[in-house]
Amino acid sequence: MTRILDTHAGSVCPHRQGAMCLSRRQMLFASSAGAITLLLGELFPGRVFAQDAKRQVTVASYPRKRIGALSELEQDTPVPILYPGDEELYSGSVLLKLGEPAGGGVGPGQDVVAFSAYCSHMGASLHGHYDATYKVAGPCPQHLTTFDLRRHGLLVAGHATQSLPQLVLELDGDDIFAVGVIGLIYGNPNNLDLVRS
Amino acid sequence: MTIKYEPKDRVPLPPPDAQVATTVCDYCIVGCGYKVYTWPEGRDGGPTADENALGVTFPLPMLTGAWASPNQHGYCVKDGKKHNVLVISDPDATVVNRKGNHSIRGGMLAKKCYDPEGHTRDRLKHPMIRVNGALAPVSWELAIEVMAKVSRHIIDTHGVSSWGMKTFSYQYFENTYAISKLAFEAIQTPAYAPHDKPGPGNDTAGIDDAGINTFSACNEDWSLADVIFISGTDPWETKTVLFTEWMMTGGAKMIFVLPRKSGGAAWAEKHGGLILQIIPGTDTILHLALARIILENGWQDQEFIEKHIANRWEIDSGFGRGTRNTPWQWRTTWGKFGASYEQYRAWILANPHAELAKASKMTGIPADQIMRAAEMMAKPVDGVHPRTSFALEKGNYWSNNYLNTTSFASLALINGAGNRPGRVVSRLGGHQRGWMGAADYPRIFSPEKQTGRRKKEIDLDRWVEAGKLRWAWVIGTTWIQAMCASDELAKSFRTLTIENPHQITSVDRDHVIETLKQRADSGGMVLIHQDIYPVEPIGTELADIVLPASGWGEHDFTRCNGERRLRLYSKFCDAPGEAKPDWWIISQFARKMGFKDFDWKDSNDVFEKAARSGRGGVLNYHPLVHYAQKIGKRGHELLRELGTHGIQTPVRFQSKATESQEYLDYAGYYKSTKTKGLIVGTKRLHDSTLDPGVPEGPTVHKKWLTAFNSQSGKGLLHKSPWELFADFYDRIKPREGEFWVDNGRMNENWQSLFDDLRRPYIMKRWPESWVEIHPDDAARLGIESGDRVVLENDDVLIQTGGFVGVDGDDLSFTKLQEKGHIRIGSGLCEGIAMITDAVRPGLVFTNFNDPRPRASSNSLVHRVPDPITNKYRFKLGKGRLRKIGESPYKHSFEQMSFAPRTIM
Repeated sequence: MTRILDTHAGSVCPHRQGAMCLSRRQMLFASSAGAITLLLGELFPGRVFAQDAKRQVTVASYPRKRIGALSELEQDTPVPILYPGDEELYSGSVLLKLGEPAGGGVGPGQDVVAFSAYCSHMGASLHGHYDATYKVAGPCPQHLTTFDLRRHGLLVAGHATQSLPQLVLELDGDDIFAVGVIGLIYGNPNNLDLVRS
Repeated sequence: MTIKYEPKDRVPLPPPDAQVATTVCDYCIVGCGYKVYTWPEGRDGGPTADENALGVTFPLPMLTGAWASPNQHGYCVKDGKKHNVLVISDPDATVVNRKGNHSIRGGMLAKKCYDPEGHTRDRLKHPMIRVNGALAPVSWELAIEVMAKVSRHIIDTHGVSSWGMKTFSYQYFENTYAISKLAFEAIQTPAYAPHDKPGPGNDTAGIDDAGINTFSACNEDWSLADVIFISGTDPWETKTVLFTEWMMTGGAKMIFVLPRKSGGAAWAEKHGGLILQIIPGTDTILHLALARIILENGWQDQEFIEKHIANRWEIDSGFGRGTRNTPWQWRTTWGKFGASYEQYRAWILANPHAELAKASKMTGIPADQIMRAAEMMAKPVDGVHPRTSFALEKGNYWSNNYLNTTSFASLALINGAGNRPGRVVSRLGGHQRGWMGAADYPRIFSPEKQTGRRKKEIDLDRWVEAGKLRWAWVIGTTWIQAMCASDELAKSFRTLTIENPHQITSVDRDHVIETLKQRADSGGMVLIHQDIYPVEPIGTELADIVLPASGWGEHDFTRCNGERRLRLYSKFCDAPGEAKPDWWIISQFARKMGFKDFDWKDSNDVFEKAARSGRGGVLNYHPLVHYAQKIGKRGHELLRELGTHGIQTPVRFQSKATESQEYLDYAGYYKSTKTKGLIVGTKRLHDSTLDPGVPEGPTVHKKWLTAFNSQSGKGLLHKSPWELFADFYDRIKPREGEFWVDNGRMNENWQSLFDDLRRPYIMKRWPESWVEIHPDDAARLGIESGDRVVLENDDVLIQTGGFVGVDGDDLSFTKLQEKGHIRIGSGLCEGIAMITDAVRPGLVFTNFNDPRPRASSNSLVHRVPDPITNKYRFKLGKGRLRKIGESPYKHSFEQMSFAPRTIM
């Protein structure tokens, strides 16, 4: 299931007068297959530092799914959710409010983020392993890897060869929607396999 | 090079017909086994077992190495065409990296492959000569002829000691055999130094002198111990899979000795262990204090001591009364060091430096923690001495080389460690074991001598600065940043090379040869740099000739890991351009020089020839080659069949195995129906529980197989008089306003920084060098995490003379200073501040040997080697600290993290 684009959100295209032009970001969430490369600044408009805005990331076409509400979140209390699929293995993820701004964070404090709950080293569950002082996921109970949730899940120390996969979030009023994943979740060669199955 | 990281959410899979090769990680000594899949572009496999070469159906269960992240995939060139390459930790491994456990470095091996369109595109591709300051491509033939003619002139005119090499000691048996054959057998020069020290010789002489081979243990031993005393290293950071797969899982309580609380130490503390946060350079004092507590309480392993420790007669007679002109002979027999148990005990109990209160003050470790450590390692439980193992690495022996290692070995021996399962003494190691010496270092020609008849190995850096080296052939090392007082060494290199009046102005053969001869005759130095990448500044700015080497994955190579496990590193892709393996380059040069027996056909040919040189050593694989020949195979091919499991050296031939099947399954063995008998591996050395049977066929049974490596077969205790170090130590303690500057590597960069500089994800994590600072010091200096800081030292001590000692204390620091052999230089390095209470106040911790400009922490370190062993004290730098601005990472969510590594 992919998000149905709200065409009213389109803007006037500067290239073709009078025609509706989709931004790359909208194109991403409208398309039903394949991956799109876009800039961090486009993915998280107004929510990254200026020097980071030009960094490229690839995000595939993902379902849009409501995963919680801002008003229900307590700071530093991770909420288990399922995304992009509907089974814990390996769609198990956590939604949490860090209490300080984070890369890709939503909400008034830019501090609400969501990440895969499976270590991107060898897939051990990170549920219950969160350090509230430093906003770090881990240490992974198997090999002690840690990830910085303020910095898009960047590895702090350990063995994972990529960051902890981060969910792309959107707000609609109080509702929080997951609309994509950055990075490959442990277990499959393609995140969309979790959706297809 | 600008590096951009783009996270991906999928990874291509190898199709069923992808080619598969086995190999071993190129980086740390643990040497995890890997599988490499290569396939042409556009033919990816699918997620079910019949659709991919992995033979697995996704999703995969937790904890298997068969799953790959996008960073485990890359591109390479094979048969001239672009291919996908996937490198995964062997999920079927039953040794080392069981089930495919891996580190971040090994995990990203695919990104190391030469990709003409990727980040490794700057690989060296052609031989080059520096003409008018810029490197110009030339033919191999021209480069080799120039090298041979200039070498012949230099050797004939200035002697063999003016012709030198500085090379890696670890990058495969085939290459180091060729290097040592050229340097030590053909040319016989004493002007040689390995990559990490100023000259050859034992890294940890005190351990070797005790009769203990520094890689005698096997990985399993760490899981069998009750207590592990770990000095000067954190295996979680730097021996990743050894720690996570073998140490963490065995239940041992760990005692860490480090100036900084690292991740592994924090984990150990949380799990019943201890961290002794020591002031740099004082390990000897700690070891003495621990030994004294143990002896005072009678906690020593008396039964072991009586059976396995040499008495006075065995020390004297065992080592003979001969010439004593080898380093180990004089050290062990000189009354200042070698001691029977009674002598050692009396010396410890009467030694004021071993008193707990004094030791606590000098080491900075609370007395109750020292007492607790002594209890953990030695106090009998229900009348039984705990199984305690002892591990050490560079923080220990790169601060006070001989005294730290002798006192460490003696502490281990009185605890009954060294020759039994779970009770071992071992280095945890740095690089893998890839040295296969074709001949011994010609110590007799060394310009250096201890007092009396005691030749010692050269200090090549001092030799360069004295203007004695006219030819330097540098293979696979930065040399300059890797050695102490590196900013000062860089100045010397510049003076001797690019600032010399004789510079090449055209590629005309005669002109090049004549110019370089004039360079040497005028007191300058001809510099050759041979590597896989352009290296600053030695290759990019200074070298007259730059040669492109090929390496991992580009040829079949061999070497051992830290438990002496021998495996084949298979070829699976093309080398860039005209790059050649180091052994080939050596062979071309040697043949041009007219030396015999350098005409190897291929890599396997070198491997088989080299086998004979290793026969008496712990890396002996000669029986494997012998067995392979009997069944009509090549040595490399037999080893290929042993895959990632390999076989532990020394390899032995037996007509019938005397070991249990469990032992053989671990150590590795090979049996063919085409001939009788089998070859078996050796799990651990000095193994008092091993019955190796009778030596058969080509097998050599050395004493150290089942006993200690001494003439008597017993362990040797040593005294370690602090007075031999005290004058230097008192001089280098930080003065008012200065910090101790200690150094090390983070896990993510451990032995991989040369490749990491080209790996986008790692550069995102660690875009620059870094400096850890205690919060109190940072607050005082107005420094915050993310600020750019500089460390400066205007008091860098450098030894300039003292090649020959005559009277007893001639080579002591005090005497060197009195005779004007110490000069003072300066150095600086920069990094990004990380504020953390993991470091002691008054101490900063920074990246070791960062090759980037203005990043070398070795610039702050004194270049005065340990006079007993000629080894450097890399860990004892000092400097002033100040902020110079903010880095971009201070306000970025994208690069670098300032979260502590001690969250456990």
